[in-house]
Amino acid sequence: MGNLVQAELRKTTTTGLWWGLLIPTAVLALGWGLATGLLGQFFVDFASTSDVDEVSDFLGVTPDQWKVSLFGMARAINISTIFPMVFGALAISGEINRRTITTTFLTAPSRMHALLAKMLVYVLWGAIYGLAIMLFLGIGVVITSDSGQLPDAGGWAMLTLACVLSSVLMTMFGVGIGALIPNVAGTVVLLLLYFLVIENVLHLVLAYLEVPSIIGFLPNGSINGLTGSVAVDLFLSTAGVVPPEVEDVLRAIAGAGGALDWWWSGLVFLGWSGIVFAGGWAVTQSKDIT
Amino acid sequence: MHDGSGLIAVQNLTKQFGPVTAVQNLSFTVSPGSVTGFLGPNGAGKTTTLRMLLGLVKPTSGTATINGRPFHQLGQPGRVVGAVLEAQGFHPARSARDHLRVYAAAIGVPDAQADQVLGLVGLGSAADRKVGGFSLGMKQRLALATALLGDPQVLVLDEPANGLDPEGIAWLRTFLQSYARMGRTVLISSHLLAEVEQTVDQVVIISRGQTMFYGPLEQLRQSQQRRVLVQPSDINALATALRAEGVQAIEQLPDGRLAVSGVDSRQVADSALKAGVSIYGIQEEQVDLERLFFQLTSGQYAGYAPAQTPYKQQGGWA
Repeated sequence: MGNLVQAELRKTTTTGLWWGLLIPTAVLALGWGLATGLLGQFFVDFASTSDVDEVSDFLGVTPDQWKVSLFGMARAINISTIFPMVFGALAISGEINRRTITTTFLTAPSRMHALLAKMLVYVLWGAIYGLAIMLFLGIGVVITSDSGQLPDAGGWAMLTLACVLSSVLMTMFGVGIGALIPNVAGTVVLLLLYFLVIENVLHLVLAYLEVPSIIGFLPNGSINGLTGSVAVDLFLSTAGVVPPEVEDVLRAIAGAGGALDWWWSGLVFLGWSGIVFAGGWAVTQSKDIT
Repeated sequence: MHDGSGLIAVQNLTKQFGPVTAVQNLSFTVSPGSVTGFLGPNGAGKTTTLRMLLGLVKPTSGTATINGRPFHQLGQPGRVVGAVLEAQGFHPARSARDHLRVYAAAIGVPDAQADQVLGLVGLGSAADRKVGGFSLGMKQRLALATALLGDPQVLVLDEPANGLDPEGIAWLRTFLQSYARMGRTVLISSHLLAEVEQTVDQVVIISRGQTMFYGPLEQLRQSQQRRVLVQPSDINALATALRAEGVQAIEQLPDGRLAVSGVDSRQVADSALKAGVSIYGIQEEQVDLERLFFQLTSGQYAGYAPAQTPYKQQGGWA
């Protein structure tokens, strides 16, 4: 197995795809981080000069101490992890497309060995992408935010953990989909459409039907719940007692409307990744490589 | 694990792709120490058979084993069997050396093996070039290098001569023969008998997914009797004289000559002399393997000849 993992690792490092996708990921995270700080500043300035004392009372802190950057960072992680997901999606569909899958299967004890080795390597890449996203996002946020809006050291650590976990899980989900739909264009288009459009529309419909709790069990809803819930928890930890309605609004802002606790959300999404990987494995196992 | 015999055994192998029967009840074995040609026209089921042997395509029924085991039970398949299936399985942006190092890691051989096989197939100077810029012949060589990485006991090659220049084909021929002489098994497919005639010792000829001939090439040669084509001054007199000597297989050709089977030209000439018949021309017909091959494999996807030529063809077919 160690041999196959090394082979899969070499496959990813001997072509330019990893940095080709990492560059836009970093740019997006940085840009989102910068925007988060600016928007947060704007919001805090606005809140400080308006009659929002009621909200201040709710939250128990003055506006300049609101850690508004958390919401933007949660959103930034959600969006940026689309790239590691696409990277993962190309793992198997790319090999089938380039027909290198033949040699891969000819040099592995079994197809299952080959797929597991690939998954392990892409988990590692997911973590690397996650750290890169957090790094660039952090740089962006720190440049444009007041220190009062930034999380403390524990908060940073928690966000980093959520970001890396989220990125790893998204990558795994991509690997599974790429095995399930062994077509590069089809896989990428489907993933982008689903994560950026389809499920967001679904969220609106579910919210309209007043069953938002289902959202937390959907793929995008649960992965957003992982980061969003961490952000909301961190925000609330410094904010005193908050009425449930306000918490719901905060969750929606963080992109985690209807979501479960962060670790539950992570487990739900892990379940989704497991399902698509099992499906992808079943398809790959019985597939005739002609 | 496997028995290390180097034996390839295909038994009652059948593959159906939906309504299309690609391979039908195919059986043959390939022994170590010789080069076996796997021949048939395009679409005869060669590639599908090889892919079933290599565990890439699941047979509808029947078995295909290497060293007594199906492919997925070989343990470390890369060290048992090396295969060249197509010259397309490369990432265009990866260099030849990187490509080989990926699979060297998978098979578990040292990286130095990558440079060694590159040298072996004559690509040493192109090691750092991206495969996307390779010619078809270079890709074939790289595919062969990949197959050789694990120093396998069994080598399976699907149309390896495609894209190779004459020099490359000659090199491949020598290489495969010496590989077989080391006691290893070499199975090589082709749709052209002439292409592999000088390389192979054994042949498996298939057509429409079925085995048409299976055995030594020499046996195939002998399966067609040699004929003597003779143009005598008196056909009937010579035929009578030959029959008197017990030669029965005499046939008159459209061009006025006699075709006599089972004798050599000297015997025909002697008979003619005794019978007082002059001979204007005599020749021993060479065994035309290609024609035999056509006879064995004709029919599938056969096109029609262009409209009959308006003029009468000059001369005979020989």
